[in-house]
Amino acid sequence: MFERFTQEARRVVVVAQEEARELRAEQIEPVHLLLALTGDPGRGGAVLRSCGLDHAAVRSAATRAGGPLDADALAAVGIDLERVRAAAEAAFGPGALDPSRPEPSGHIPFADGSKRALEESLRALLRRGRRRGGAIDSGHVLLGVLAVADPLVGRVLLDQEVSPGTLEEKLGDSSAA
Amino acid sequence: MAGPTTDVTTAAAADDPAIGLRAIRALRELADRLETLQVGNARGRGWSWQQIADALGVTRQAVHKKHARGRKDD
Repeated sequence: MFERFTQEARRVVVVAQEEARELRAEQIEPVHLLLALTGDPGRGGAVLRSCGLDHAAVRSAATRAGGPLDADALAAVGIDLERVRAAAEAAFGPGALDPSRPEPSGHIPFADGSKRALEESLRALLRRGRRRGGAIDSGHVLLGVLAVADPLVGRVLLDQEVSPGTLEEKLGDSSAA
Repeated sequence: MAGPTTDVTTAAAADDPAIGLRAIRALRELADRLETLQVGNARGRGWSWQQIADALGVTRQAVHKKHARGRKDD
């Protein structure tokens, strides 16, 4: 599947798996690809960082809005998750509200959204390239992630006040709508 | 707790189903985790399953089925 990927794009896929593992995710989701892209030395990473989307910002937005305890949504109905967490920890000890799950070992599968994102990255390459033998670089991977309109990725971008269209434009792919 | 900021965000949530529904899902998860903590604490203090069930307003069977697994004191 990855024979048309550049080294940097393959690296993004490998790092995405590490991100998923660190976040105790059962699958590699598009947001893990986005996280991996923030550290990419190629144009995908450069475009993200130029919009203020560095690893810390994306990770914090993703954990805030992405976990089963969605702090942003709870805040919207008047519940301050940090206060609930503090109360639980005061009574039952550190980490009481966050039961530890074991870090998944071995291979972590791609979620459907990530599979589609990788397919879309090929499509992004074909849309642009008349040249034969072009390769999927990290910019195409980012376009792929944006193309699948994953809800969590969307919320992270919204949180950071970055529109997908801006990123696509910077990647010279404003035709992708 | 109900400062001006809270009021604004609460009002915003009221008419955005996406946020409101996500909040419900998070509330269920939050309630589940707190229930696990509280039931564990009650058992640790010697409460019977019947006492816990009464406090939660559910049947003894329901609370036992949900929480007994994995507990040594079952």
